[in-house]
Amino acid sequence: MLQKREKVLLLRTFRGRTLRIVREHYLRACVPCHSPLCALPAACSHDGKLLSSDVTHYVIPDWKVVQDYLEILEFPELKGIIFMQTACQAVQHQRGRRQYNRLRSLLKDTRHDCILFANEFQEQCYLPREKGEAVEKWQTRSIYNAAVWYYHHCGDRMPIVMVTEDAEAIEQYGSETQGVFVISFKDYLDNFWPDLSAAHELCESILQSRRARESESQESHGREYAEHLPLEVLEAGIRLGRYVQGTLNVNKYRAQIEAFVRLQGASSKDSGLASDILIHGMKARNRAIHGDVVVVELLPKGEWKGRTGALCDNDSEDKASSEAPSEPMPTGRVVGILQKNWRDYVVTFPSKEEVQSQGKNAQKILVTPWDYRIPKIRISTQQAEALQDFRVIVHIDSWESTSLYPNGHFVRVLGRIGDLEGEIATILVENSISVTPFSEAQLCETPVNTPEKPWQVSAEEERRRRDLRRTHLVFSIDPKGCEDVDDALSVRTLSNGDLELGVHIADVTHFVASNSYIDVKARTRATTYYLADRRYDMLPSVLSADLCSLLGGVDRYAVSVMWQLDKTSYEIKTVWYGRTIIRSAYKLCYEAAQELLDRNFGIVDEIPELKNLDEKSKQARLEELAGAIERLTDIARHVRAKRNRCGALELEGVEVRVQLDDKNNIHDLIPKQPLEVHETVAECMILANHWVAKKIWESFPHQALLRQHPPPHQEFFAELRKCAAAKGFTIDTRSNKALADSLDKAEDPTDPMVNRLLRSMATQAMSNALYFSSGSCAEEEFHHYGLALGKYTHFTSPIRRYSDIIVHRLLMAAIAKDEKMELKENLLSNKDLEELCRHINNRNRAAQHAQKQSTELFQCMYFKDKDPETEERCIADGIIYSIRTNGVLVFIPRFGIKGAAYLKNKDCLVMACGRDSCLEWKPGSLQRFQDRIISTTTGGESVTLHLFDHVTVRISVQASRCHSDTIRLELVSNKPHKDPNSELSQPSPLLLKSDLVREVTRCAEEAQLAQEVVAHAIPEEEYLEYRQTKGRSLYMLLEEIRDLALLDVSGDCGM
Amino acid sequence: MAGLELLSDQGYRVDGRRAGELRKIQARMGVFAQADGSAYIEQGNTKALAVVYGPHEIRGSRSRALPDRALVNCQYSSATFSTGERKRRAHGDRKSCEMGLQLRQTFEAAILTQLHPRSQIDIYVQVLQADGGTYAACVNAATLAVLDAGIPMRDFVCACSAGFVDGTALADLSHVEEAAGGPQLALALLPASGQIALLEMDARLHEDHLEWVLEAAAQAARDVHTLLDRVVRQHVREASILLGD
Repeated sequence: MLQKREKVLLLRTFRGRTLRIVREHYLRACVPCHSPLCALPAACSHDGKLLSSDVTHYVIPDWKVVQDYLEILEFPELKGIIFMQTACQAVQHQRGRRQYNRLRSLLKDTRHDCILFANEFQEQCYLPREKGEAVEKWQTRSIYNAAVWYYHHCGDRMPIVMVTEDAEAIEQYGSETQGVFVISFKDYLDNFWPDLSAAHELCESILQSRRARESESQESHGREYAEHLPLEVLEAGIRLGRYVQGTLNVNKYRAQIEAFVRLQGASSKDSGLASDILIHGMKARNRAIHGDVVVVELLPKGEWKGRTGALCDNDSEDKASSEAPSEPMPTGRVVGILQKNWRDYVVTFPSKEEVQSQGKNAQKILVTPWDYRIPKIRISTQQAEALQDFRVIVHIDSWESTSLYPNGHFVRVLGRIGDLEGEIATILVENSISVTPFSEAQLCETPVNTPEKPWQVSAEEERRRRDLRRTHLVFSIDPKGCEDVDDALSVRTLSNGDLELGVHIADVTHFVASNSYIDVKARTRATTYYLADRRYDMLPSVLSADLCSLLGGVDRYAVSVMWQLDKTSYEIKTVWYGRTIIRSAYKLCYEAAQELLDRNFGIVDEIPELKNLDEKSKQARLEELAGAIERLTDIARHVRAKRNRCGALELEGVEVRVQLDDKNNIHDLIPKQPLEVHETVAECMILANHWVAKKIWESFPHQALLRQHPPPHQEFFAELRKCAAAKGFTIDTRSNKALADSLDKAEDPTDPMVNRLLRSMATQAMSNALYFSSGSCAEEEFHHYGLALGKYTHFTSPIRRYSDIIVHRLLMAAIAKDEKMELKENLLSNKDLEELCRHINNRNRAAQHAQKQSTELFQCMYFKDKDPETEERCIADGIIYSIRTNGVLVFIPRFGIKGAAYLKNKDCLVMACGRDSCLEWKPGSLQRFQDRIISTTTGGESVTLHLFDHVTVRISVQASRCHSDTIRLELVSNKPHKDPNSELSQPSPLLLKSDLVREVTRCAEEAQLAQEVVAHAIPEEEYLEYRQTKGRSLYMLLEEIRDLALLDVSGDCGM
Repeated sequence: MAGLELLSDQGYRVDGRRAGELRKIQARMGVFAQADGSAYIEQGNTKALAVVYGPHEIRGSRSRALPDRALVNCQYSSATFSTGERKRRAHGDRKSCEMGLQLRQTFEAAILTQLHPRSQIDIYVQVLQADGGTYAACVNAATLAVLDAGIPMRDFVCACSAGFVDGTALADLSHVEEAAGGPQLALALLPASGQIALLEMDARLHEDHLEWVLEAAAQAARDVHTLLDRVVRQHVREASILLGD
């Protein structure tokens, strides 16, 4: 039975009046205590996780400890933690949603041994706040009281340690109850975890930063920033339209000056603002950090500023831009921060000389974050000298209005500056990617497959699954050397003459049960991360490369989609979904499949499956296989043509080629000519994805995971249209079909690069495709713009994408539903799925960024040792794809590098034509037009550079201590670059990516050996090939490329 | 305060109830001697008083009389001090009229009006303190008052509200939960037959979820019925003792 109590709250209203609010508060006798020692397990009715029984004590942190030391409590070594509801609420009210969500996810995480005890709803634990009692005192008292109750509840068998920062509480309660100890957090760590040095360091650094903050607030000198307005004022202001709310985006290239606020949700409609809002200068940004959700007040029109169109480096701090900025845009200032999105930042300590110049206060040090967009952070530490050459993680604690820079504390060391491992770790941390290896518990869940104990198809599964081993010719087509084969194909003629097309996908969900340890881990990773030289798998390798991989000649579980097609019209008559057992007969590579398709049987020796056969049966087998591939291709052509009629963007087929070419120089993945087989396989996958999307949507209209690609905004195409106009092409962007057609026409016969660049601009203008839950938006919004399909999802690569695993589970549930069977597992609700989709989208973006950054890292390392003046390779041909006020943006096809080249340097000298059309610096002026830029010297000579002109550039590396190194381009000549041996090596001057990676790694290793730094020996074969498929579906490639293009978008928005 | 967590991960609501639990209900019948029937109810901190007169002759214009059944006249008012901020409402404002109309519909469905043709039944309800679920409290109070007046009814009318937060249906919303702005459903149920006397919903709710919310509200209404039934029996027992039976 519930007991009713009343709580009286006094709240201050917006207008300053005091409001008396009476709230009910119900207490109950039985609140789940989640302890295995519970005296009344029946009454407590535990569900969810229990504390483990092998701990020596339980620890109960006080509210203040939870607020300040949550990072330490997150250490998996600390076990048996009981969070009291009182403490959690204190976090929620005082630390905001972000920290609270962190606490929530900690509590949900089954790997952490901690629980929440709802003490305020327990009749004996609840203590009403007494008159005149401070909230803090009451919270501590409640937590202590609950701790005592908990101790008795567990039958006095388990000692309880309450850790608090309140010295009075330690004195008052310390010896009040036997078995319940009250000590400070520091003492707790010292006594119970003396070996956990990481926790001690972290604790030390948190303490220090807090001390520094306290002493500072006592000083209280002049305000550097305006105070933030209280939350109620902000909310009221947003409602009234006085303020607008949005996410702060700092311009990477002018981090000190420019930031933009992208409007969110309703506020953009109300205010009638089409564009983003410019926040000019640090004062106006008012302590907001990149990524925060801020509230902005618009300045009067007279004070509006324009974004600068000039190229600029980050190091020139507040260089007054001399040139006239572009037309003014809405400008505002930040008046409050709704949500702080602070994460851990990688920083670098200043070098020795700089420390001295910083002078008087040696304890406090300004460190520079790796990410340009984050302001410098002030931390207090005594280890500054020791940490000088390392990349270090820090955490921002606070940013007072009296302080120019935020305060933070040191968390841990990543690695040496310039060291390959350290830099890779930096990239991972900056993208919030965690790559801890698979744990014992996770690996225990995987089945074994060793020569001594081979894995076999179980009899039970054999009964349940449809057996295709004898009836169907199944084969897979993948890139060479691929290990994780997650799809296979089959096609056969049925007795009535119809065709049966089958797509078979590895049955990962059979091995990865929902909410198992592997599943949790895979969900956290959400995707396999590919970096330039390594990859981090989503699943353990025994699954990804072996048991789930549809290798040739072995029995494997699969999930199949099979269509029955009309023999002549290829209309789909029926479709069947289900679990199957298959044995892939051939594991072909694309090249071999193409040869077979062309009836070129010379490659027979490349198919290992046919080695040991006599000539005759070999021929018969080949005939059979080639026939199957032909039929497949025929069907794929047909399906594709149908999709095209509906307005599918022809873009991607060509785009992939472009992008592969773009990257070809780096990623030598697929030969230059895309083979028709590529399209065939991709089309089959798209078909399977589409039909699965339809199926799960029909079965679960509100909780299916689908993928949408919203149509692009027409405004974004403006630049594309302008550029095309410069070359005399018109681009029609009204529909996806019109766009594809007009892009096809925009082909310059003399220069294939023009079309490529136009296409990459078109991809840039499009929005990202995203996963979403079908319950969260209207059916019209499901549409996939790029593929011109009503519904689409990802189903075909469960080995390396978590979304596909979810889709597999949904499909299985849909099949079970059709057969009126009990649903075995709980499906995610719309809300949970929505959250999961957000997580997956987020991780995918992080994966792409990390991949891009690691590629850049390798490019820089490659050029680092080369002397740009002498080295042949550092001079290359580039093509201009954008014009800015003081320079041009250049794309170098040979290395796949995009970058800025200046026409005007810091001394205001401009490029002028010298001897042999070489460019040199001379005094003069620049004139910028829509499609060309003219540089005139005082002597009257002038050089004109047009859009899409070929120029010669010199590549050098601009080293940076605190940030990643950057590639620097310098114009050498305004004529195309003539490679002395270009005639000879035109097809292959391409620097293969694997070569580049290998060379850089070798250098890095040598350097390390020389310094006798212990380097992790990295197996050489890691660098040879990925050994895994990378974006087999064309669409996936398109996505990756889009993100490559993004590199420039982020730059462009500031230029 | 941004985004109060209405339902915690552990399944507790702001005031410590679980999703399907009602607030504490206390009720008394026969609180006024001069009225034909009266009752007072507390549902948590929502307090309501109901008074019933009739059936009696039609007052005012005779033309309102119905030839085949009794006229049910409901009036709702709320005390100035009922909400957190003192606010004086004009008599017969829009909200009161609407509430009166809803009550009338509810009770026309429940009272056997055809037994008293050309007569009138007056139900006056006043909310003394509003803390969420005013409609439900009014209906429950009025039911007790009508029973107290001895007017024949098909069944009890029991009302309860329900909301929908984070994929879970919450029964008997308090003011805090109502103010959060989620969908809210008010249901008046004739518990014995399971018939619905009135169903009203604010805000948008997905069709699929309606069933759960409705079920939560119906279950809550049945629980209310158990409690009211106990009150009525208690009252009758006391009354019979007083009569010296």
